[in-house]
Amino acid sequence: MRDTLSDELVRLGKKDVRILLLTGDHGYSLFDDFRRECPAQYINAGIAEQNMVGVAAGLARSGFRPIVYGLSAFVPIRVLEQIKLDVAHDHLPIVFIGDGAGFVYSHLGTSHQSTEDIACSRVIPNLSVYSPADRYELTHCLNTAYYEKSAVYLRVGKSDRGDVHQSMPSIKCGDLVKVKTVKGSKYSFIATGSMVRTAIDIADRFPNNIDVWSVPFIKPISFSMVKNICQNSKAIVVFEEHSKFGGLGSLVSEIASASYPVRILQIAVNDSFSKKCGTYDYLLQEHGLDSATVYKKIHNFFLDI
Amino acid sequence: MKFDPRKLRKTVLDMAYFGSTAHIGCALSIIELLSVLYENHLKYPGNDPDNKNRDYFLLSKGHGIMAQYACMRELGWLCDNDFLSYFSNGSDLKGLSDSRIPGIEVTSGSLGHGLSVGVGLAMGAKLHKTEQKTYVLVGDGEINEGPIWEGALFASHHKLRNFMVIIDENGLQAMGDTKDIMELGSIQSKFESFGFESMTIDGHNEVEIDEAIIKLWKGDKNKPKALIAKTIKGKGVSFMENDNSWHYTRLNQESYQQALSLINKNNL
Repeated sequence: MRDTLSDELVRLGKKDVRILLLTGDHGYSLFDDFRRECPAQYINAGIAEQNMVGVAAGLARSGFRPIVYGLSAFVPIRVLEQIKLDVAHDHLPIVFIGDGAGFVYSHLGTSHQSTEDIACSRVIPNLSVYSPADRYELTHCLNTAYYEKSAVYLRVGKSDRGDVHQSMPSIKCGDLVKVKTVKGSKYSFIATGSMVRTAIDIADRFPNNIDVWSVPFIKPISFSMVKNICQNSKAIVVFEEHSKFGGLGSLVSEIASASYPVRILQIAVNDSFSKKCGTYDYLLQEHGLDSATVYKKIHNFFLDI
Repeated sequence: MKFDPRKLRKTVLDMAYFGSTAHIGCALSIIELLSVLYENHLKYPGNDPDNKNRDYFLLSKGHGIMAQYACMRELGWLCDNDFLSYFSNGSDLKGLSDSRIPGIEVTSGSLGHGLSVGVGLAMGAKLHKTEQKTYVLVGDGEINEGPIWEGALFASHHKLRNFMVIIDENGLQAMGDTKDIMELGSIQSKFESFGFESMTIDGHNEVEIDEAIIKLWKGDKNKPKALIAKTIKGKGVSFMENDNSWHYTRLNQESYQQALSLINKNNL
């Protein structure tokens, strides 16, 4: 997924000289190719994210197409007000890439972990929020973002969980995409980012008929598709490596309550920071997002339906 | 065109009185700065505030917006009705700057934003190889904000010689004297240590302002510019001068009439 991100940035940079890649001194080897291929379009803005977003706003106003890169703990969280006032308010076409979302930086602690970014960004008018699950969705999202007339927050989480598609899905912005389909299914799993892989794997372990949907576009999202899933499901489980407040689970619940109420189980991060240090898998376990715990939660949920 | 500071001050007082609004003192301190900029320096081809070859002026201290509105009225970018309806329901002009109004480049009031956006505009002009200049006006209280200094480092590192920050040093911020709240020391030496070419002048002396701007642009071709303007909050209305309560006090009929008569009487 990271190779794809590098390749797509180079491709966009070579295609459009208006593209400027700004980083807050992050990215390391991710930008080696871009720096080699498009050296005049690369700006390391230093460890000064707030200024970086303001500068990007000025550059966008002058006709450039900035892509602003940072860890999602900083972009969008640290710079939320700059995104709101300097960028989104004026419909400026800037792509914000927030890398390492969720618990990717499991050993580094709370400062580098990001489980509130969807909630914080999706409430800002004129700001789209994308959350790709694999390299195909990432390519689709980045290209959709490039053609957007307003700002986009592109959330990039754990990047080595394998593909969930065999090829580029044929969807338009806002669509959910079915990644596992069962004839006459009664339950639906809806997941985003890194948790799509988890949702597919766990669906295989249940005898129940379960459709699995990936959500690369959190905002805008197709209201009618989510409503349709609600109508055709006995119950829904929503997966995300994000707080249970304000993320995809909240979004699906909002649409369900406004259209077709259905029981929904949220597989998400509880209202707590990480307590311990450890591997990515260890942190998932601490937050109850590991396969065994998730399986148990869903099993109990199904018994209660 | 000529700008008359006395007339601009009257417009500010009219807006403040009829709209029953605050932030009078911080608008009155930047009247001469704005009148010199609009009169002699800012280029708007065809008097079009949206012309893509314009110079950029960003009022980062959005609290002084009534002074900018007053200038925009002289330029014909705002009409009398905008002023008569100030602060009425459904009106366009807000109490802090809003970039959706043609002629206003940045949405401010949350402080510390304008300098970075201005630096981005200046960098854009440099990359496009145009002669456009960018001016950002910040308050001295505003430079408590961290992004100001991030942006100053960036402007200097990228040698943005087409960028000028103007600091309205009136010595007061919302809750009191800047020296009591967050001592700023020498603002000029701070910006110089960040790599700016800078000057300190009397921010109410139009000749000094004009000459300083010309001199700075003629100066070092590798440095961004900082103009520190010593000003008086509430300038022109003696009972408001250096009285910080006029950051948030509203005019009544008596104080409005008194303020008008002082402006007419004073030889500003």
